[in-house]
Amino acid sequence: MTDAIMNSKPDTAEIRRPSPGGERLKKRYAAERRFRLYGLCSILAAGLMLVFLVGSIVGTGWSAFLQTYVKLSITFDAEYLDPAGTGDPAQLQNADYGGLMKKNLRDNFPEVTGRSDKRKLYNFVSPNAGYVLRDMVIADPALVGKTLDLWVKASDDIDMLTKGYVDRTEAEDNRRVSNAELAWYDKLDNADRVETRFNTDFFVNADSREPEEAGILGAVTGSLLTLLITLLLSFPVGVMAAIYLEEFAPKNRWTDLIEVNINNLAAVPSIVFGLLGLAMFLNFFGFPRSAPLVGGMVLALMTLPTIIIAARSALKAVPPSIREAALGLGASPLQVVTHHVLPLAMPGILTGTIIGMAQALGETAPLLMIGMIAFIVDIPGGFTDPATVLPVQIYLWADSPERAFVERTSAAIMVLLAFLIFMNFVAVLLRRKFERRW
Amino acid sequence: MLKNSLLKAIPLALAGVVAVAAAAEARDQIRIVGSSTVFPFSTSVAETFGKTSGFKTPVVESTGSGGGLKLFCSGVGVQHPDITNASRRIKASEVETCAKNGVADVIEIKIGFDGIVIGNDKGAASFDLTKKQLFLALAAEVPVDGKIVKNPYNTWSDIDSSLPNQPIEVLGPPPTSGTRDAFVELVMREGAEEFPELKAMAKSDKKGFRKISDSMREDGKFIEAGENDNLIVQKLQANPNAMGIFGFSFLDQNSDKIKGANVLGVEPTFENIASGDYSVSRSLYFYVKKAHIGVVPGIEEYLAEFTSDKAIGDEGYLTDKGLIPLPAADRAKFREAATNKTNLVM
Amino acid sequence: MNSFFLLLVVIGLSVAGYAAGRARSVLAASGDVRILHSLPSYYGMFVALGCGLPAILLLALWLIIQPQIVEHMVMAGLDPSIMPQNADEYSLMLTDIRNLASGNAVSREASPAIMAAMERYQSLQSVGFWTMGAAVVCIALLGLVWARSQVSRSFRARNVVENIIRVLLIVCSMIAILTTVGIVLSLIFESLRFFARVPFFEFLFGIHWSPQTAIRAEQVGASGSFGAVPLFAGTMLITLIAMLVAGPIGLLSAIYMAEYANPKFRAIAKPMLEILAGIPTVVYGFFAALTVAPLIRGWGESIGLDVASESALAAGVVMGIMIIPFVSSLSDDVINSVPQSLRDGSYGLGATKSETIRHVIIPAALPGIVGAFLLAVSRAIGETMIVVMAAGLAANLTANPLEAVTTVTVQIVTLLVGDQEFDSAKTLAAFALGLVLFFVTLGLNVIALRVVRKYREKYD
Repeated sequence: MTDAIMNSKPDTAEIRRPSPGGERLKKRYAAERRFRLYGLCSILAAGLMLVFLVGSIVGTGWSAFLQTYVKLSITFDAEYLDPAGTGDPAQLQNADYGGLMKKNLRDNFPEVTGRSDKRKLYNFVSPNAGYVLRDMVIADPALVGKTLDLWVKASDDIDMLTKGYVDRTEAEDNRRVSNAELAWYDKLDNADRVETRFNTDFFVNADSREPEEAGILGAVTGSLLTLLITLLLSFPVGVMAAIYLEEFAPKNRWTDLIEVNINNLAAVPSIVFGLLGLAMFLNFFGFPRSAPLVGGMVLALMTLPTIIIAARSALKAVPPSIREAALGLGASPLQVVTHHVLPLAMPGILTGTIIGMAQALGETAPLLMIGMIAFIVDIPGGFTDPATVLPVQIYLWADSPERAFVERTSAAIMVLLAFLIFMNFVAVLLRRKFERRW
Repeated sequence: MLKNSLLKAIPLALAGVVAVAAAAEARDQIRIVGSSTVFPFSTSVAETFGKTSGFKTPVVESTGSGGGLKLFCSGVGVQHPDITNASRRIKASEVETCAKNGVADVIEIKIGFDGIVIGNDKGAASFDLTKKQLFLALAAEVPVDGKIVKNPYNTWSDIDSSLPNQPIEVLGPPPTSGTRDAFVELVMREGAEEFPELKAMAKSDKKGFRKISDSMREDGKFIEAGENDNLIVQKLQANPNAMGIFGFSFLDQNSDKIKGANVLGVEPTFENIASGDYSVSRSLYFYVKKAHIGVVPGIEEYLAEFTSDKAIGDEGYLTDKGLIPLPAADRAKFREAATNKTNLVM
Repeated sequence: MNSFFLLLVVIGLSVAGYAAGRARSVLAASGDVRILHSLPSYYGMFVALGCGLPAILLLALWLIIQPQIVEHMVMAGLDPSIMPQNADEYSLMLTDIRNLASGNAVSREASPAIMAAMERYQSLQSVGFWTMGAAVVCIALLGLVWARSQVSRSFRARNVVENIIRVLLIVCSMIAILTTVGIVLSLIFESLRFFARVPFFEFLFGIHWSPQTAIRAEQVGASGSFGAVPLFAGTMLITLIAMLVAGPIGLLSAIYMAEYANPKFRAIAKPMLEILAGIPTVVYGFFAALTVAPLIRGWGESIGLDVASESALAAGVVMGIMIIPFVSSLSDDVINSVPQSLRDGSYGLGATKSETIRHVIIPAALPGIVGAFLLAVSRAIGETMIVVMAAGLAANLTANPLEAVTTVTVQIVTLLVGDQEFDSAKTLAAFALGLVLFFVTLGLNVIALRVVRKYREKYD
């Protein structure tokens, strides 16, 4: 019916009637339903990909939140720790704890004799177990000479075995864990001396070369410091630039140029910002390498356009009537902006800023260029301390040969995703809470 | 409100001043840059050093050997790194650049070997290759019946009927990588020299010979696959027809998934590489700026830790990470160089 | 840290100036602030700015200039016997003197002449610092006194302060321009050095990319050519595949969300799509290399196609997934901003919803959608980590999506982080590629902006 009117030319006399039984209408409704289905399908397809991606990450990563411990009886042999019996703290500090650990392992498994078997045995627990003993003795020197049953962190290979990543049916050569190690493990397991616990070290340690010791706190701190610099620089500058462009700038070639520039910067490949940071901040200004300060500045330049664009559209959404009312009451243009327009646009600006920050948080490529791809064990304490960030940590772990880093890589991705989702969630809440229809 | 905008400008100025001030300040932490191949070993030593010595844990950056030497050679002073790792020896031109920038005294330490392995999926066919066969499979141009032609081989069995009938597909390092340089030097050149006509050419026309021996084929049979060896390992698993060229430590860690091809009948095992029977291996180095010893605390102790038998000895902890140790005599030599701070001699 | 302390002093003086200016204005109005031209706080701000601004500018200027002068004086006053002969030696000696003065490492044993120079350097430094301190504090005080003397009933403090703030706003908006200039500057010098070795047109139009030049004297490269066309073609191919994935899915999702979905569905679906853009690209890289690539290869083999293990298709599809939200979010906004009256008109004529969308809304929103697509394209071109991990390095000039290709960003990364020497044409090529990338995205953006602006004028 409407088709007939739409399609008919004014000079044609023939009028098309609706087909009998409404066949055309049925067809059109079918097309309507199909079209709607296409839309739904695309959203579902995108959602499915998201679920698949996140699912595969969680599937490989969840086990990194657990860590295997084995219970061994440990003798704090005075011969190793304090042969002279002086109780001198310096002596206790520098004693041979590695040797002590090895001796205790031998005592726990007296059946092990061969040289290569002993070597395997020493790798049964984490190489850092000795340092744990050291810390215990220093905390309580009275331990010297005593024997205790202690839970000791297992090495990465044993950890993989507990988590079922080692196929026992394979030939011995084809697995990372030998038959001898399996036998020791089973002996402990049968005596209830193997346990998996929540891996707190993953959250409180910085990077380490031993997968069972490696944690993300260093990278998370680095990310926070970097983001803080990014926020401090890009938020005020971005908002002020947006205010100028939206509220004060005359429309001329110059402002056009600035606008094209900003839009262009929003799309410049992030790696180019890395090249800029390398050439300008490191080589020209001589800032320290791997510092969150420099990373923050590079990321600030990168997120600045995002914030400016978001802030401009938020300012634009404030209706002119508000400005006119304020002007009418005698406010100066700047007062109009700072007292009325800016507070009203703030939720929109903040949403844009959070999204920009989330982008900066997930960014890797520019930081590769300014030396943040580094192995850093100390948790950074300031803006010029060497630091790395979460995505770079992921990149580094992904390139480590040790098998146990695979699950840790996924776990770190999960943490990063959690941060990103949280930030996006806040942005959405903010948008929803303050969304205003004028 | 007005005051706010003024206050906002202050962090900007502060950040600038703080950074300039910090750049010139003394540093109590060793800074290491350089090769991504040495990175796992260097970080391991750094971590142990940090835990046992009471000094701060050194910061180790992975920049590639070239990038590391560039940073290392850019000058003396705490704003420049103290140590650089390299998966090849420093070049004469780089020594010159160093000297020009005041980095005249450099200590060279060789830490061990890194085997280069040609591997494939555990379930796939096993290979026993000669260097000649590898050259024929991977060079851009090869001699056929005395003439140099574009590489005609598509499957391994085309080269030698004893090899599996499987398409040639090798994932290898890009030309910017030190692993590639080493592979070319140790496999391709030696493979090429097994042809009498090329051997003659090597004597008369070195440049022409190098052009043939050093050029990898570019028709998709040899795939430059980036520096991430872990990714290569996983790509091999996904594709049983593919072979990959990567460092021994990755074979060591993934021995349940991939296997190494024998070269000249020798299996790439720890023992065979250490004894020199497996011939495709290269040396790893690091270089120390002498002027920084005494200024940045802990460099001497770090050197002592790295050159100790506990680290790079036959049963040192670096061997667990896949480093192939030097012969004992060489270790002693470099340990002495470290304690006496002997200058690098080219 | 000394200049930092000085900065704190100046800030303290400014705060005092604020109080003084405010008090003075209240005094001038004899307590009745209504007769003042501006609010008292503006007078305070004026005095604070008058005190702080010139002093901080002077401080900054001094910090930049003083080292140059001091160094020149020290080097000119050197003992003639150790006077450096050339520029390299000069800068080396200067660094040594500077390092000695700050207790830093030096390149060689310091001779007595150098020690003397160092002492001279230190004394000049401290003289300079104290002069600077005095000058800065003087200027700050002078500014304070002068600005305070200006304060009177009729003085237009607000206008002055607002003008200064407006200048600040302009400076902020100029940072975007400065960044662009910085990018171009940081790329152009290295690029010029590259073009001195490789002819410009050979780089831009050569069809053979194989950066295996002789990077050192004893090595001979293979073909050693720097024709970047295969890289551009590879980038285009992957971008095209990505857009074929992201275009339809993104646009249809946007249409569904804008026109069909109820608010509840929309509130869930939109952030969910945006999470796709938030996932770190490293993750996508792994996904592409280890899941999608073998999958495509397996399918290809089962129907008898020869698929490279690092096919452009795998990288392209995954990149497409990543940029879906760019297309959908931007298109969603554009579709939402099509005036309701157009829809109502179309419904009034009896069109169904899908007909309205196809014949009315899409044509009306088309310029905006094109703009969104172009932005997504420039994002795809610049994407690095996915292609680094999944696309490989083989520079094939091909349009077959099942073959391996390489992209500009991949080459930048591999050229810069490799083991080669740093002054080779290879490393420099990375900067030239960066420059090209910058100008390509610039071009795309200018076009996108033009298109979007044309549209905006029509419906605002």
